[in-house]
Amino acid sequence: MGESRGGGCCPPMDLMRSETMQLVQLIVPMESAHLTVSYLGDLGLVQFKDLNSEKSPFQRTYAAQIKRCGEMARKIRFFKDQMSKAGVLPKESLEKESDIDLDDVEVKLGELEAELVEINANNDKLQRSYNELMEYKLVLQKAGEFFSSAHRSATAQQREIESEDSQQAGDDLLESPLLQEEKSIDSSKQVKLGFLTGLVPREKSMVFERILFRATRGNIFIRQTVIEEPVIDPSSGEKAEKNVFVVFYSGERAKSKILKICEAFGANRYPFSEDLGKQAQMITEVSGRISELKTTIDAGLGHRDILLQTIGDKFELWNHKVRKEKAIYHTLNMLSLDVTKKCLVAEGWSPVFASNEIQDALQRAAVDSNSQVGSIFQVLRTKESPPTYFRTNKFTSAIQEIVDAYGVAKYQEANPGVFTIVTFPFLFAVMFGDWGHGICILLATMYLILREKKLSSQKLGDIMEMAFGGRYVILMMSLFSIYTGLIYNEFFSIPYPLFAPSAYDCRDASCSEATTIGLIKVRDTYPFGLDPVWHGTRSELPFLNSLKMKMSILLGVSQMNLGIIMSYFNARFFKSSVNIWFQFIPQMIFLNSLFGYLSVLIIIKWCTGSQADLYHVMIYMFLSPTDELGENQLFPHQKTVQLVLLFLALVSVPCMLLPKPFILKKQHEARHQGQSYAPLDETDESLHVETTGGSHGHEEFEFSEIFVHQLIHTIEFVLGAVSNTASYLRLWALSLAHSELSSVFYEKVLLLAWGYNNVLILILGIMVFIFATVGVLLVMETLSAFLHALRLHWVEFQNKFYEGDGYKFAPFTFIFTANEDE
Amino acid sequence: MGFLITTLIFLVVGIIASLCVRICCNRGPSTNLLHLTLVITATICCWMMWAIVYIAQVNPLIVPILSETE
Repeated sequence: MGESRGGGCCPPMDLMRSETMQLVQLIVPMESAHLTVSYLGDLGLVQFKDLNSEKSPFQRTYAAQIKRCGEMARKIRFFKDQMSKAGVLPKESLEKESDIDLDDVEVKLGELEAELVEINANNDKLQRSYNELMEYKLVLQKAGEFFSSAHRSATAQQREIESEDSQQAGDDLLESPLLQEEKSIDSSKQVKLGFLTGLVPREKSMVFERILFRATRGNIFIRQTVIEEPVIDPSSGEKAEKNVFVVFYSGERAKSKILKICEAFGANRYPFSEDLGKQAQMITEVSGRISELKTTIDAGLGHRDILLQTIGDKFELWNHKVRKEKAIYHTLNMLSLDVTKKCLVAEGWSPVFASNEIQDALQRAAVDSNSQVGSIFQVLRTKESPPTYFRTNKFTSAIQEIVDAYGVAKYQEANPGVFTIVTFPFLFAVMFGDWGHGICILLATMYLILREKKLSSQKLGDIMEMAFGGRYVILMMSLFSIYTGLIYNEFFSIPYPLFAPSAYDCRDASCSEATTIGLIKVRDTYPFGLDPVWHGTRSELPFLNSLKMKMSILLGVSQMNLGIIMSYFNARFFKSSVNIWFQFIPQMIFLNSLFGYLSVLIIIKWCTGSQADLYHVMIYMFLSPTDELGENQLFPHQKTVQLVLLFLALVSVPCMLLPKPFILKKQHEARHQGQSYAPLDETDESLHVETTGGSHGHEEFEFSEIFVHQLIHTIEFVLGAVSNTASYLRLWALSLAHSELSSVFYEKVLLLAWGYNNVLILILGIMVFIFATVGVLLVMETLSAFLHALRLHWVEFQNKFYEGDGYKFAPFTFIFTANEDE
Repeated sequence: MGFLITTLIFLVVGIIASLCVRICCNRGPSTNLLHLTLVITATICCWMMWAIVYIAQVNPLIVPILSETE
């Protein structure tokens, strides 16, 4: 069914059907394989088939190479991480990449990684010692303060006591401060006091104190002071609030308990001597070491930055090379190894027009790799369905993506994209019609288009990315909107008599009946678009609604007819006459005898000015076709014409349903009557390679399935004719919504603000008007009309002819998107 | 009368547009056919819309009744 090529009916048109594709087989000697794949990747016109799909990733030929590339990619990611932490940006590379060799890169990356890791480790160690020394310094300062203040108060007390001593003998001299242990009078109570100094995190300080107290049964004395600024903790590297503590204890057991508790709380301890002289010495020593360490650390960081700079120079180059190599090895894994193990066989889809370029690339690769034998290029014949490939440029690619979003075209079926390029912006504009708004959108999209080059290299946000990608579609939308805005005569909802004066005027000079019976038509019809008098009148809505509804029906019937005609072109192309006689013709007859007739009635009513009620005519055409029409008669012999059309419509329904399955069955039998044996493989093989996926032999033919399929298709078409025609009324609905919103914003915001004669209120009114126009009308209405126009195309237009069950051509290429980091 | 004249104007504009497109972007027969199709489709769409709005106003069944606050 699929292989029959047509195309003789009409001259070929770009973009109408997929490019002709062929299945090619390439036989490449081992030594030129890598280079061949690289050149084919540069060409970007071959989609390789995976010939090793049964093998797991580890069983494939080039698994080791991929692992290598994966390692290098990991190192590159690590560098990128380090560079972003240090704030170094990779520079744009100006060198050509073919000059660098993968092995060199691998070695270089390994060296740089080792060096960077070492520098980082050293840096961390130095930083840690630095933080410890800073803490030590704080301890020395604060603890020193304790002791010196305690010493002062002790000496003060001692002097006091001594001065009292003369008066009071035998005072308890155990009141002397603890520090002066050599002054302990009672030798039997001589205890060895020790002390520990350190830092404890502030949150834990109370708990710390309490636990120490309990553990040593209250036999300790602890003093804590707060450190005002947060200190960098050496182990975690972050700032923390800490307190300096001094713990006085007696006995070895108490000491060990205290040490364990300190460890548990993460309190760092530092040695401290009571001697004032030694304290001063320690402080100067520590300060000296701190400044030394600082210079060392700075030097280390400077060295690292230089290293990162050198990496940054070559980063993009290496990154691209590694990704390219990885892609090449993935592709090489898809090729199958020939039995003799001397060459690789590749199968892939490529467009017919690219044959010469591919053969060229193969030759160049063979020459460049100094191989003895050249590669072989062969076209295979197969019954598989090829991928679909449309050659689009930046203008047509956006529309093609929109069409593909619904379904990729089957190979060589008619592409709705051709007409969608024009009809989609047109239907959008019918729903959007306001030439003021159209100009605003035109300015916005002209900005995007004029800054195309600059914006395409930048990384934009998601929404901007979509708007930028669709800039040409939006351009078309805005141009058509300006046109329909001129026709609807709306400039931010204000009409202007641009082309001629209005056709309506008062009945008499006093204009007394203008608000009751209305004006009359005195001049010729307003030549281009809607008469400007209508805006703001009482009878505006009845008139406009009638006009826009009828216009929607006329446009809808035209587009649906176009869809059915596209199915005729498909049937001609695939040489399926059963589709022409028993699908296209009954469908045309059915649709046009009902809704085509309605369109004709609309036009006749407008041309003659008759007062016939078209609802009545259409409904009674079905309910009582033989009745007299009376005042609903639009043309002579209308009753007869209606009877004939009704008859044709009724007859066409079984024509759509019954003949096709029987004819298909007869065709199938005729095809397979003389073939009781399955035919031999048609594919030509010179090597022991199987073409995968060749479904040869006869297909299954289930008559009941075909019949049910045809039944569904018929019902869908018949019911769809009514519902799809009604669906086009959304053109009316959205255009009404747009004009009403626009007129509300104008009258209730701008005119209201103008009426107050106050500058501030006017400015406020203008701001509100601008925000409302941009937010509601330019953004929301645009999206809404876009969506509905899209729906009309995807459903009402495409279900007349489009199958859309193909798959897209995805060639092997090296153009990586920015976020393709594996 | 006005209808025929303006229809002719649309026809002429369509022909001129196709010629312009053929002159400035002449890129092979299949591409030219595509451009021609697009221009013709656009012309027909625009003409249809104008024609519908024009014919609807030639013999009106409803006349404008001004609102009272004029």
